[in-house]
Amino acid sequence: MDQIKQELKKQIIEQLNLEDVAVEDIADDTLLFASDGLALDSIDALELIVLLEKFYGIQVVNPEEGKTAFKSVDTMAAYIQQKTAQ
Amino acid sequence: MIYIGAETMISPLGSTTEENWSALKENRSGISWVAGAGLHHQGLFLARFHPIEKDRRFTSLLYEGMQQVALKLDPSIMLSARTQVVVSATKGAVDTDIRDPFGGVFNKFKTHFGLAHQPIVVSNACISGVQAINFGDELVGAGQFDQVIVIGVDLITDFVVNGFQSLYAVSDKPCRPFDAARKGITLGEGCAAVVVGNDRSIFAEAPLELLAGSSSNDANHISGPSRTGEGLVRAVRRTLMRQGCQPEDIDLVSAHGTATLYNDEMEAIAFNRLGLQECPTLSLKGYFGHTLGCAGVLETAATMQMMRHGLMVRSEGFENLGTSKPLPILTENCKGPINTFIKTASGFGGGNAALIVRKL
Amino acid sequence: MTVIKGYCHINKEDCWVNGKPVLAKTDDPEYSWLRQIYNFVGLSYPKFHKMDQLAQAGVLALALLKHEGDLPMDYSEEGVDLVLANRHASAGSDLRFQASYADHAAPSPALFVYTLPNIVLGEIAIQQKWYGDHIFVVLPAFDPDFFIQYAQRHIQQGCQAVIGGWLEVTDTETDVFLFLAEAEESTGKGGSLPLAAINELYRQPMPSISKL
Repeated sequence: MDQIKQELKKQIIEQLNLEDVAVEDIADDTLLFASDGLALDSIDALELIVLLEKFYGIQVVNPEEGKTAFKSVDTMAAYIQQKTAQ
Repeated sequence: MIYIGAETMISPLGSTTEENWSALKENRSGISWVAGAGLHHQGLFLARFHPIEKDRRFTSLLYEGMQQVALKLDPSIMLSARTQVVVSATKGAVDTDIRDPFGGVFNKFKTHFGLAHQPIVVSNACISGVQAINFGDELVGAGQFDQVIVIGVDLITDFVVNGFQSLYAVSDKPCRPFDAARKGITLGEGCAAVVVGNDRSIFAEAPLELLAGSSSNDANHISGPSRTGEGLVRAVRRTLMRQGCQPEDIDLVSAHGTATLYNDEMEAIAFNRLGLQECPTLSLKGYFGHTLGCAGVLETAATMQMMRHGLMVRSEGFENLGTSKPLPILTENCKGPINTFIKTASGFGGGNAALIVRKL
Repeated sequence: MTVIKGYCHINKEDCWVNGKPVLAKTDDPEYSWLRQIYNFVGLSYPKFHKMDQLAQAGVLALALLKHEGDLPMDYSEEGVDLVLANRHASAGSDLRFQASYADHAAPSPALFVYTLPNIVLGEIAIQQKWYGDHIFVVLPAFDPDFFIQYAQRHIQQGCQAVIGGWLEVTDTETDVFLFLAEAEESTGKGGSLPLAAINELYRQPMPSISKL
């Protein structure tokens, strides 16, 4: 699980071009969309869907699902585990 | 006075203005199911030209539109050094020449029509068409030209289908602007033209009066509409002020109405802030789909036809209001004089624009 | 009368402001050329890194003009009208977006939103909180008359300033020119060059700074 989270942080930084952010800056429970978190926006949310497809082969049909799944790296990792276990 | 006339429409609803108007007044939609058109080859609802017309691509459609608009003008106008052509488009020939999408406008266009000047392309996403007409007014108003032919063209391509699907912005049903059940846009394609000029006599059919407007940016987000309608409020307010109009003077709002959740909600908020909440309102996207860079010209042309015929058409796809603020969306065709209408547009990049047309 | 208060250029290897060289590209492998300019003007704007090259170039040219050209740009919210133009629209981003969905891969929404040339206007408006009139046009080549007439019209209509520019940024070309025009009577900072000189300003000789 920790491995997935580390990978995920790297992938988020790369996919979203977060140039000034390092892996260490993202805690497992950092809120991705909060202004005092990573302050991601609606396009970033859609780009996270692309990330899931690209790296994990997960197809998100309903973007509303992303709203809860993309809260933090913790929730994303759990979502990935749940989806890949299916 | 600045005139606007010679409106020309080519869309899946018809190859001439007359055919398009017949379809609109009969509430026929150009939207249909197209198998295999989507990303991952699923079917999609689109307002697309019939496959038999598939050679209608960017440059050929532009030429077709120019030929039609020429028939509605004094024949000397096309060649006049006092005439400028302004093309309104977002993606040009992206499907055939992605490295030079507007080459078709610049390379042979001028010599083909014997124009005195190279055309100018206005490319401002979904507000391009309204912007281009306002820009035409500016050129004529400042005395730089006597007439400007404004021609909008955009096509459905894999490029734009993939793009809007990647944004989850495309509806799985024909689009339903302002409706509670709206789920996104339906893409459309077409070509439309209007002529803006200072000489009434160049128009074969009597023109209308253009009360041009302004544009304003939301200064908020490049793809999400402002939650407060800030840019649209400012663009419409400035347009009304510049033309000495009051909200009560407006008989009809020809809105942008894309049928995305956020856009339509934003417009409802803006029109309420502007005091336009009691003015009959419609979106033409239910007939034409969202024709992007063509939309502002096509929808202005269509609303001009309503003005000439004294008939507001129903806002296709609308049944139950789905915005937090009230708007009198037209549920039935409505006969009666339209003396003044306002056309608005909002789009990616946070742009908003408006213009007013008045009957003479 | 409308006058030019300041102007700047960004080309493939140098930045010039008001005809003077201010920055030359280095071979720093860590930072791209546009990122080097970002560091030089001291911007701290995380959104910058998400932008495409066209939007980045627009935001950087504005920052150069503001800081190196010493123009405070403290206009009212609706006081500035923007006019930008180029020849190839958003062709660079168009190619990148097209590549994102090649081989049945998922198209990138973040790339798609930049496949419109007017996005740079939105980025500038967001960064500066400007709500004025704004337009992006595609022209066959840099056209001084187009800019002169636009600036004259809009200053006459009463806006405080017009910021205009040519923004051609493709994989092979970087040709960025930005100017700020105001009414001659305005008492703001900056120079006072005739608007008619815009063609010479755009075409000023710019020998490679590293060889100066």
